[in-house]
Amino acid sequence: MSAATHAQDHAHHDDHAHHPTGIKRWLFTTNHKDIGTMYLWFSLAMFFTGGVMALLIRAELFQPGLQFVNPEFFNSLTTVHGLVMVFGAIMPAWVGFANWLIPMQVGAADMAFPRMNNWSFWLVVPAAILLVASFFVPGGAAASGWTLYPPLIIQQGISIDMTILAVHILGASSIMGSINIITTILNLRAPGMTLMKMPLFVWTWLITAYLLIAVMPVLAGAVTMLLTDRHFGTSFFNAAGGGDPTMFMHIFWFFGHPEVYIMILPAFGVVSAIIPAFARKPLFGYASMVYATASIAILSFIVWGHHMFTVGMPAAGQLFFMYATMLIAVPTGVKVFNWIATMWQGSMTFETPMLFSIGFICLFTIGGFSGLVLAITPVDITLHNTYYVVAHFHYVLVSGALFSIFAGIYFWLPKFTGKMYSEKLGKLHFWLSVIGFNIAFFPQHFLGLAGMPRRIPDYALQFAEWNMWSSIGAFIFGFSQLLFLYNVIECIRSNRKAADNPWEGADTLEWTHLPSPAPYHSFETAPVVK
Amino acid sequence: MDAFKAVFWSFFGVRKKVEYDKDAKKLTPQAVIAAGLVSALVFVLALIGLVKLVTR
Repeated sequence: MSAATHAQDHAHHDDHAHHPTGIKRWLFTTNHKDIGTMYLWFSLAMFFTGGVMALLIRAELFQPGLQFVNPEFFNSLTTVHGLVMVFGAIMPAWVGFANWLIPMQVGAADMAFPRMNNWSFWLVVPAAILLVASFFVPGGAAASGWTLYPPLIIQQGISIDMTILAVHILGASSIMGSINIITTILNLRAPGMTLMKMPLFVWTWLITAYLLIAVMPVLAGAVTMLLTDRHFGTSFFNAAGGGDPTMFMHIFWFFGHPEVYIMILPAFGVVSAIIPAFARKPLFGYASMVYATASIAILSFIVWGHHMFTVGMPAAGQLFFMYATMLIAVPTGVKVFNWIATMWQGSMTFETPMLFSIGFICLFTIGGFSGLVLAITPVDITLHNTYYVVAHFHYVLVSGALFSIFAGIYFWLPKFTGKMYSEKLGKLHFWLSVIGFNIAFFPQHFLGLAGMPRRIPDYALQFAEWNMWSSIGAFIFGFSQLLFLYNVIECIRSNRKAADNPWEGADTLEWTHLPSPAPYHSFETAPVVK
Repeated sequence: MDAFKAVFWSFFGVRKKVEYDKDAKKLTPQAVIAAGLVSALVFVLALIGLVKLVTR
């Protein structure tokens, strides 16, 4: 785009720069970039909150015996660590990216419903406060695991009501966010931006938003039934009153499995933006990628039973869920091969976003394979509730979702801030993370195979050595995230001005049509996409 | 029929660019959604059939 148009953008921006300043700017903002920024900072804060809980867990598990925390508090830590990381860190981070990027990538001026967008964000803050504050009420925070299974959850104190309320609020926020994203994508695309030309990040978010709308009400229904079982005399999940606790598990996992894809599909979108940019080749099999994403989303609704093979299920049910789960490997494999084919014979360079993306492919694939192992019913019956499962889902969610969030932040920081991050520190962050992560979580496969159960503060002596290694890795991983925080702040404060498109191979609208940093108001006149 | 073909390939997760471009021109969202729902049902029934077969 010509410099003249850039100048015009800036002039326009200045004309309209009469938005409130200070705290009011953030409280009342309807600007998608401001809201995206708030989501990202919020998610980082929650990431550190959940991270502190993780390190307390690993500190306790460094040695057998009870050292630092009592067993009840340990259970609260594992529960709230899960809830905070899923609902407070990963999901809001993706919504932050969606807010920043979707309008720019489809050539829209803002999100379709800017006021609702503000409301979506400001709802997540009280929910997070409720979750964290529940540690300080009588009885302590929820301690039944992030899955909130009855009957245990029925018996605890007021913290459960706080957790249920938090889940309700977060669900409402997610649904409003999804409505906004779907409407923006379907109605506000620039002329010429057909669905088939949309960047893959936009496609993955479109499908994710539909998943959210489909399953968030299911979760809301499940926790409402918990609430009425607790306070209003119903017996949905109480066998003594004619209910069935297993029903909660079915309802929860009908939400829970698509939830996994809600956290990972936008990661696929980010990686599909970064790999072509640093391989300097267009994405291999764009159409297949879109179709594979849709396929994964559809399959995600018929596999929930694999989370509960051990609760009692007819053999036919076990076989159904086993087959359906294994079939997910097909579209996921298509994606992994497409990313590799994109890199094949490309002119690759290995800046930090690319390193995190390659780390994502390698480690997410390990998580995928351990998922296939767990999909085999007889194997799962042995490994259920062991550390093998913990290792599996951390490979999927940390080296899958979180690594791609890091990749995305490093990739788009120049566009967000107008400054370049320090490549040296970024690479240091990557290597410390990847080494720390693998030391922390790979040994957990061994622990699980040897029979160590999850969610216990103490364990038998034969598990001591790998637990020690796992804790050392967790501390390396945890503390290296301070470097990430430093990198972001150092980037914002530095004088290293970023070019409008610092990446040779990046070709989406935010790079080709907008300056760095992206102006406060972008695409007030829609670009024409050829 | 074209919608069913597109949905079939989407379940597998692979689609030729040329075919995809054709789909984009020809298919309406209603047709794709209808074909998707029917195909999902057929897929589930086929899985149940397979399960019945092996547990007989």
